[in-house]
Amino acid sequence: MWNSEKIQEVVESNKIVIFAKGTKLMPMCGFSQHAIAIVGRLGKPFEVVNIFDDPSIRPALIEYSKWPTTPQVFVGGELLGGSDIVEEMMKDGELQKKVEAAFAG
Amino acid sequence: MLTVEAVQAMIQRAFPGGRVEVSDMTGTSDHFEVEVVSELFEGKSRIDQHKMIHAAVADHLGGAIHALKIKTRTP
Repeated sequence: MWNSEKIQEVVESNKIVIFAKGTKLMPMCGFSQHAIAIVGRLGKPFEVVNIFDDPSIRPALIEYSKWPTTPQVFVGGELLGGSDIVEEMMKDGELQKKVEAAFAG
Repeated sequence: MLTVEAVQAMIQRAFPGGRVEVSDMTGTSDHFEVEVVSELFEGKSRIDQHKMIHAAVADHLGGAIHALKIKTRTP
């Protein structure tokens, strides 16, 4: 059973984690696929949690992040956002900086 | 159903002095594109900026508003 404490545990124990619809190899939504592709191109290891694995994941995630949609990309324990924000951050180099900082720490 | 003007007014109230532009992305009055330029975004992460806009239309999100494509900028 997932709750916001478990979400926090996963977020803080992975440098990069994406809560998405589907898996890394089988994303089941365009936005999730887009976020996974962008993060994949950074060449760093990252975790994907498939919210369809357990119906309690999504409500726990929303309660934790106060953000209603998926995918949700966390780097260094911080919620960056969905695929639109992550794409914007990739275009202006902010995403790479956040990832460098997460792996340097 | 919400009009573009109604969504614009709701967001404008949350960003006095800001520039708020709203357009209907699909013509079905439930997918809106919103661009907001406001100094209130100064020093805030993109996600926090987006959360501010979500808060301004919170009671319609997931209901009359199915999707919001958000662009934010400081002046």
